[in-house]
Amino acid sequence: METNTASGFKAGGKQVSLAELAALVPDGASISLGGSFLHRGPFALVRELIRQGRRDLELIKQSPGYDVDILCRAGALRRVRAGIVAMEGNFGLAPWYRKAIESGSVQLEEHACASLTAGLRAAAFGVPFQPCGGLHGSRLPELNGWKCLDDPYGGGKPVWVIPPIRPDFAILHASEVDAAGNVRIAGTYHWDRIMSRAAGSVLVTAERVVDDAVFKQAPEATVVPYFMVQAMAIVPQGAWPGSCWPDYAIDYPAVERYLEPGDEALARHLEAAPETREAAHA
Amino acid sequence: MPDNRTAGRPAAASASSSTAASWSPFSYIVVNLARFIRPGEITFSGVNSTFPMLACLLAKRAYDWDFVYINVAGGVDPEPGHIPLSSSDPVLAEQSASIFANEDFYDLCTRGRMDLTFLGAAQIDGEGNANNSVIGDWHRPKVRLPGGGGGAVMLPTARRACTWRTEHSRRTFVPRLDFRTAAGGFHGVVTPIAVFVKRDGRLALQSWHPESSLEEVRERTGFDFDAAGAGPTAPPTAAEERTLAALDPDGRFEHDANVTLR
Repeated sequence: METNTASGFKAGGKQVSLAELAALVPDGASISLGGSFLHRGPFALVRELIRQGRRDLELIKQSPGYDVDILCRAGALRRVRAGIVAMEGNFGLAPWYRKAIESGSVQLEEHACASLTAGLRAAAFGVPFQPCGGLHGSRLPELNGWKCLDDPYGGGKPVWVIPPIRPDFAILHASEVDAAGNVRIAGTYHWDRIMSRAAGSVLVTAERVVDDAVFKQAPEATVVPYFMVQAMAIVPQGAWPGSCWPDYAIDYPAVERYLEPGDEALARHLEAAPETREAAHA
Repeated sequence: MPDNRTAGRPAAASASSSTAASWSPFSYIVVNLARFIRPGEITFSGVNSTFPMLACLLAKRAYDWDFVYINVAGGVDPEPGHIPLSSSDPVLAEQSASIFANEDFYDLCTRGRMDLTFLGAAQIDGEGNANNSVIGDWHRPKVRLPGGGGGAVMLPTARRACTWRTEHSRRTFVPRLDFRTAAGGFHGVVTPIAVFVKRDGRLALQSWHPESSLEEVRERTGFDFDAAGAGPTAPPTAAEERTLAALDPDGRFEHDANVTLR
């Protein structure tokens, strides 16, 4: 029987609608989003947060692009902690992110991808800081107030240490889940794994649900075990307009249309998203 | 966007239609990046890195030796079914026998076993340090750039790091960076008109595009550099030309890159 002493998410009944999943994220929450640039981000959930009018979110991701841009465009962000931000795939810089940072409407904590990972590792490992290789000569440590420690064992060189970065939620888009909430990702999992270990809770959207026998036949392929997953939604095409290997590639024309200026273009983009059709049919 | 870009491509045939081996500004950057790759070495290409992706794929196919090619899509010596517009596209892990994910290749680099990595840079100074963060003051940016990314950790820890710029100007090759995102100094830098290598802690000119000159490189570079021993860059080999033409058969990458000599 479940008690409030449990650390994980043992209970069943985790599968909810996309709207219900997004509703678990309150205003002001810090969210770590899986994937990289236009690849396998939880973009349907990001759009649902916008539809629900979420505000003052903190986005934590080594390489955000479309997700940070559309959240800036919708005025949903308070702060970004990121390593590298771009649309990529020939689309260059992320224009609404750029405007938000240049105007000061969104606060930036600029990282190297690896220093953000180090902060997530500190949280994941349960330690007060995590050494990060490199960074010597960069002005980023000074900018962020990071400390440099001597090797306490006397042998090595000084090392920069990064404080913990503990997102309220890791939000991942996966290839497959089973009914219990185990998670598989085809291809690279980018930084999804360390995000899931660092965060207070893991929310998952997935292309499909498969029988748990599939997971038991190859447990080493499971990136996140079910007891770490708070809730999940089945959202086919959930990474649109990005890719989700091997199911679909980037929808370049859709990204091009997203980049058209104006509130109407954003509204058209949100309406064109695959999850709106799913919801209409549900 | 690809559908439109496939249609119009004025510069498409420039490399393949010339009779003698010669450079286009596009082929100059791709091939000279590929020439930094060495046999047997672990070599990485990342996000926002179309030129290094093409250079790695070219080196795999044009040279009679092999190396370990890893990339941000997790691929290890992949055989992609097509060449993607996005240099982090998961197609770059096709036919890979393992997935070497993001944490893996950063850790490989910081423990000193990344032989060669390619990294982007908006501004480069005479020591080969990079600004990827901001034009203007960090707190009051004129232009907010992509950010720290790989460079701040990889540039000082990789055995060698190389970069490219499609614009060779005093805006990009500066005496003083607006912000030093990454120190450690590039081993090599390729532009449409020049190839620099690090010598005694500074970028030195190795060679220039045969249609450019030492004077032009000096005129368009904002820092002083040593040019001892530099001369015109050796033309592309038949294998390099043939391989690049096969990687970009319809000229889409060359058209999108839109690189000009001046």
